[in-house]
Formats: sequence, structure tokens, C-alpha cells
Amino acid sequence: MKLMDNPAVANVVKSTIAFAILIALWQVVGQLTHAPEHIVPLPSKIGEVFVRTFTSQLHHLGATGFATVCGLALALVVGVLLAIAVIYFASIKGAVLTVLAAFNSIPKIAVAPLFVIWFGLGIESKILLAFLLAIFPVFVNSVTGLGEIEKDMIDLSKISGGNEWRIFTKVRLMHALPYIADSLKVAFPLALVGAIVGEFIGGNRGIGYLILSAQFNMDTALVFAALLSITIFTTLGVGVVVLFEYLFLSWRPSQRAT
Amino acid sequence: MTIPAAAPVVVRGLSKSFKSVVALQDVSLTVGDRQFVTIVGPSGCGKSTLLRLISGLIPATSGEVDVRGRRVTAPITDVGMVFQSPVLMPWRTTLDNILFVAEMRGESGSQYKARALELIGLAGLAGFEQRRPHELSGGMQQRVAICRALLLNPPLILMDEPFGALDVITRERMGFELEKIWNVTKTTVIFVTHSISESVLLSDRIIVMSARPGRIVQTFDVDLPRPRGRELLSHPAFVRLSAEVRACIEDASTASVQ
Repeated sequence: MKLMDNPAVANVVKSTIAFAILIALWQVVGQLTHAPEHIVPLPSKIGEVFVRTFTSQLHHLGATGFATVCGLALALVVGVLLAIAVIYFASIKGAVLTVLAAFNSIPKIAVAPLFVIWFGLGIESKILLAFLLAIFPVFVNSVTGLGEIEKDMIDLSKISGGNEWRIFTKVRLMHALPYIADSLKVAFPLALVGAIVGEFIGGNRGIGYLILSAQFNMDTALVFAALLSITIFTTLGVGVVVLFEYLFLSWRPSQRAT
Repeated sequence: MTIPAAAPVVVRGLSKSFKSVVALQDVSLTVGDRQFVTIVGPSGCGKSTLLRLISGLIPATSGEVDVRGRRVTAPITDVGMVFQSPVLMPWRTTLDNILFVAEMRGESGSQYKARALELIGLAGLAGFEQRRPHELSGGMQQRVAICRALLLNPPLILMDEPFGALDVITRERMGFELEKIWNVTKTTVIFVTHSISESVLLSDRIIVMSARPGRIVQTFDVDLPRPRGRELLSHPAFVRLSAEVRACIEDASTASVQ
């Protein structure tokens, strides 16, 4: 078992086994107790519904995925730009941080209906909700990554003739990359929450809409199948970030430990 | 004695206060071309402050600094600097860390590759060109920092306790290696330390400073032949000079306590 010596492979194998046991347990207990299907459907039933509705799942996931990725991209751009502004114009730092902290204390889910009023039932309100949920972790981590750099490193750069632009691209931004990648792992599921809540509130596309309509029909198995779709989507999204870290950020301490 | 107009470093009546604390008081010194000058003194005597003033990283309260005939009013950019910590970019390899100073100047690093490899050989880092800092020992990291300071052949190198963070055995070996490297490069160096043997081993001239407020107490010329090897440590002239410097530092510290 050479392959099992690799801790990463061993980890995947162990998690898969644990997951399989859990599903098997669910199936067996469900069959033995004859749990009503509209309360807790059996895994086999969920799997069957997932396969049967696969094209429709993909269609709705496409809408949700698009809103999520757009919101996340917007959060990345605006969050990093805002962090840059705060770093270079130290005088506005206090004001921006206070305003953002105040904003962040509003439960953003509660303002979702407002977004529907302002931006309609289309994709825009979903993207903006995703953006609103995702921006805070991106911004906070970017401020840390761009700003909390050893003073000697900045002094060295200045004394070597570095202007602000070169110090930004070759020191600050490079230093911030792992922090930003980390924030994306948190921001991605948050953006997804934003998109789905947007779909709950209105519209006729997306996983949120699918779940809601399945709920109206008491089609519990379809609700679970939709949840399975999102889970796969989130895992893929976080996987992309992890792959990026593995390929380009292999020097960071947390990557070395694993 | 007449001072040559373009002496690498001329300091006149330099003082620096941080709020009400006088860190440095009326310091004047001249460093000749291709001289290795060590500033030695107890902790808190303003040695590091003096280096930062010479490099223009911080402004003086009064007095002036000329580097190669030019008044220092902002960070000067034709100087090499080595700090107490290696200050290496964790995302860069040994080679790329050394080339960093060329990139900060806006030049392409690749045109200095041959020079960098030559320095890597001189510093005994051959075979570690493509390693990242976390794969190197503390002593090796500091040697990378020294190579980086030497890359562009700056007319002046400032070293702020470069071996202060190393263990005693590594520290002693680094002293010998730096002397060896200096015999090849013969750059003007201002070296700050609180190790007496290090100062005698490396310098052409030793400047002893007193504790707060930092003032120059005495200057010693070191007329020991180069290259200086390990056998020098037991040489009578080395032992005598070390004792004189030590006595001078002790006098200075007791005087400032009273």
C-alpha cells in the first residue's frame, strides 16, 4: 500500500469510507424503520431522482453557478481594490473599516427583498446578494495580506530603488495572494448562499427556485437531489482554489505542513 | 586630516530624538573608500538608528549625512543593506531573492544571473539556487541576504547586526565567511554589532558608542593582516585589541549609568 503512505491520499480514502458508511447506515435504518418518503427519502431514491432530473439540475445549477461566480468575482475585484485604497490612504482606513463593520453587522439575508425591489427578479439581484455576502472576508484578508508586511521588507525595497508600483506588484500583492486565496474558500460558499437566497425570493431559475418548487410539491427527494447538486458545485469551487494554492502557492506555510 | 570630497560616508553632528528620548547625540564620522567600519556598543546605543539615518530611511533631528558627496534627504538607492533577520521573500527562490534588488530598480533580473551565481558560489550556496527560504538554515538565509546586498556592486553596504539572530557557532563561522567574501569584493561596509570579537575580526576601524544617548566614545584602527583566519583569534594583537575595545565599552556603559 505505497499510495496510502501519502497523507493526502490517505485522507481522501478515509473520508470517502466514512462518508460511505454514513450513507449505508442511512439506507439501512431508513429501510428498517420505513420512514415516510416525504420526510426522509432513502439515499437510493435521492440518487434515482438526481439521475432522472440531471438535465434540469444542470440547467438550474448553471443559473445559480453563474450568479455565484459573478458575485464572487465582483467581490474579489471590489474587495481587493477597497483594501488597496485603505492601505495607501491610511487616513480613510478608520472610516472605511467602521462603515464596513457596521454593514457587516446587518444580516444580509434580511435585505434580500430590498434587492428584489431595486434590481428586479432577474440575475442582477442574485449577483449582488452573492457579492454582498462574499466581499467582507475578501476585503478583511486583503487588508491583512497587503498591509501586514515586515517593515524591513518594505525598507529593503525602497533602498533598492523600488517605486510604489514595483513594491506593490512584487512585494505587497505577492504577500497577499495566500491571504486572498484563503478568503475565497470562505467567500465562495457565502456567495452561493447569497445567490440561493436571491432565488428563494423571486425568479424562475436556479437551484434555490428548484428547492422551493420541490418543497411546494412535497417532493423531498428532489430537494435532497438539489442539495446534492450544490454540494458537488461547492466542492468543485473550493477544489479550484485548493488547486491554485497547490500549483502557485506551494511556498506558503500551511501548504508545507500538509 | 583632510577629508576627501567624495568619501563614501561623511556624518556631521548627527542627532536623532524619538519624542523626548535622545537616541543619538552629535555623532560625526567619516568612512573611507573600501573601508570596513564596525560600530560596536551596548544594546540601545542607537547603532541601528545611525544606519537608518545614513540610508535616509528616517530623517535626522539635526546634523547631516553625505553619501559620496550627496546630501541624504530621502532613502538612497545605491546602497546594499543586510538586516538582523534575512528579510527574504518566502515565494522566491535563492536566486530570485538575490535578483530582487535588480527588479526593484526596474531592471530585468536575468541580466544579473551570472553575477548572482558567482556570489552564490562565493557564499557556499551552490546547489541551493532553486530552493525557497524555508528550505534553508538560518545561516544560509543570511548568506542569501548578503549576496543580495552585493549583487549590484553598491558603493556602500550597511549591515545591521546581520548575525544577531544566529546561534554562537554559526555566528562565528559566518564572521569568517564574511571576511573571506569581503576580501574578494572590497566594498565599503558599515557593520553594526555588539560582538567585540566580530568587530575586531572584520574591521579596518572600530567605532565604540555609548548607551543612551548614543555618542561616539572612541575609535580604534585595526591593523591586522588580511585575510584573517581562525588562527587570528589567538594572535596577541587580536587579543590585546579585543581587551581594549571591551574596556572602552565597559567604561562607556558605567559612565552612562552614573
